[in-house]
Amino acid sequence: MNRTIIDCNANLGSWPFRRTSYNTPEDLLERIGRVGITQAWVTSLDAVVLKNVAAANAPLAEAVAEHDALRAVGTVNPSWPQWERDVAECAELGMIGVRVNPNYQAWLPTDPIFGELLSAAGELGLFVELTVRMTDERHHHPLMMVPPVALGGLLDLCARHQETTIMVANANNAQVLGVARDAAGPLPERLYFEMSHIESVGGVQAVADQIGVEHLLFGTHAPYYYPEAATLKVFDECDFSEAELEALTHGNAEGLLAAR
Amino acid sequence: MVIDCHVHVQSGLGTAEDRMGYLLAYAGRLGIERLCLSLGTSRDQRPTPETVRADNDMVRAAVERYPDRYLGFCYLNPCYLRESLDEIERCIVDGPFVGIKLWIALQCDQPNVDPICERAAELGVPILQHTWIKVTGNQPWESTPWEVATIARRHPEVTFICGHSGGNWELGYRIVEEVPNVLCEVAGGDPELGQTETGVAMLGAERIVYGSDAPGRSFASQIAKVRGADISETDRALILGGNIQRVLGL
Repeated sequence: MNRTIIDCNANLGSWPFRRTSYNTPEDLLERIGRVGITQAWVTSLDAVVLKNVAAANAPLAEAVAEHDALRAVGTVNPSWPQWERDVAECAELGMIGVRVNPNYQAWLPTDPIFGELLSAAGELGLFVELTVRMTDERHHHPLMMVPPVALGGLLDLCARHQETTIMVANANNAQVLGVARDAAGPLPERLYFEMSHIESVGGVQAVADQIGVEHLLFGTHAPYYYPEAATLKVFDECDFSEAELEALTHGNAEGLLAAR
Repeated sequence: MVIDCHVHVQSGLGTAEDRMGYLLAYAGRLGIERLCLSLGTSRDQRPTPETVRADNDMVRAAVERYPDRYLGFCYLNPCYLRESLDEIERCIVDGPFVGIKLWIALQCDQPNVDPICERAAELGVPILQHTWIKVTGNQPWESTPWEVATIARRHPEVTFICGHSGGNWELGYRIVEEVPNVLCEVAGGDPELGQTETGVAMLGAERIVYGSDAPGRSFASQIAKVRGADISETDRALILGGNIQRVLGL
């Protein structure tokens, strides 16, 4: 069956703590194409640990320019001066969103600057990707141990910035379900979670049941992760209905982009 | 045949039989035919002999209910040596368990583990030892691949399975690389691309085994490490089942 599958959480470039493969546009497309993924939203691995994260945005846009199946997500650090210019540059470069890594950029999502970034991105039609972690904290370089981003306060931010779409990436089951528990009801309409770090037997389905499949996005974290991990979870391990699969594999992602 | 060498008893609601059947249903969707089962639901880091027996009885019940699917690994706390040796008699000699599981009650290079290894050698059963190397700090008695390499050198006639390959598999593989009676399993960590290929390159496919650490981990995310690996089909078959079949004499 030919199916549209949009990977909302893929990466290009180099990671300083492990040599990565399949990290050029051509190689990534070939690798995720093996499991039927037809489109990917890509961020820059390099930008996570660059001091001037914005320096990675133009090269990323250039790298994906020749590939219709790739959409670029820029990186912004709102604790640096002139970050507004960086957000605007991402929009001008045709990017679909901006990613923040508060734990690698030494600020907290509860800091006022994040609210300002949400406003600025929303006004430019960019979604904001809040990345909780990049790799397992237990295996970090001993001289660069980076704790995961806490999601407390996320619902307040959603309430105050209803004009902006937020995608939380690389959150695990407990983190996603913690937000759902705090919401004590339906999640904010424009809040999404990407699924690459959701674990346990049947875990993706259990999380979808808790938060609503309309808030879940298909993601692989490739090429850092085997893309098969995501496809096997969704298509083999879980028992989603066809309507749920349509939503999870591309419908939610397309709706997210259309609503920006 | 696909054999998952690292599965635990499912806790939660319903009867134990329901829960173990539930696990099998999910495993079946991924083509996993047999599952090596260990630990009960106590998750006590230093369990008493009574708790160990109760945990093993949960495994026994699953194996007896689904004898064609589950293979029992006998959980031991080596701090209680006499009782551990008795439990080997009860579970392995009297059946139906086929291996030994050591978790985090005692680092596996401690003297109490030697008599357990000697009995494992006599019975020809493998020892699956949990390992992790955590930059955030290990549990007080949690083993790493270093301790596995040490005990394995003292007991070259025993096959050790280095559980999780130490989590930090790039380091874990190096630690046990020159100890041929140690196999490394891919279970329990994130599905990081390259884990299986690196293991095959460093240790050879004959020393890598597939496991999941389900139900805490997804069967899918863990088997993806092998299904998605850039390795030969011959090597893939060894890792997915051939190696553990050989070790268990199935």
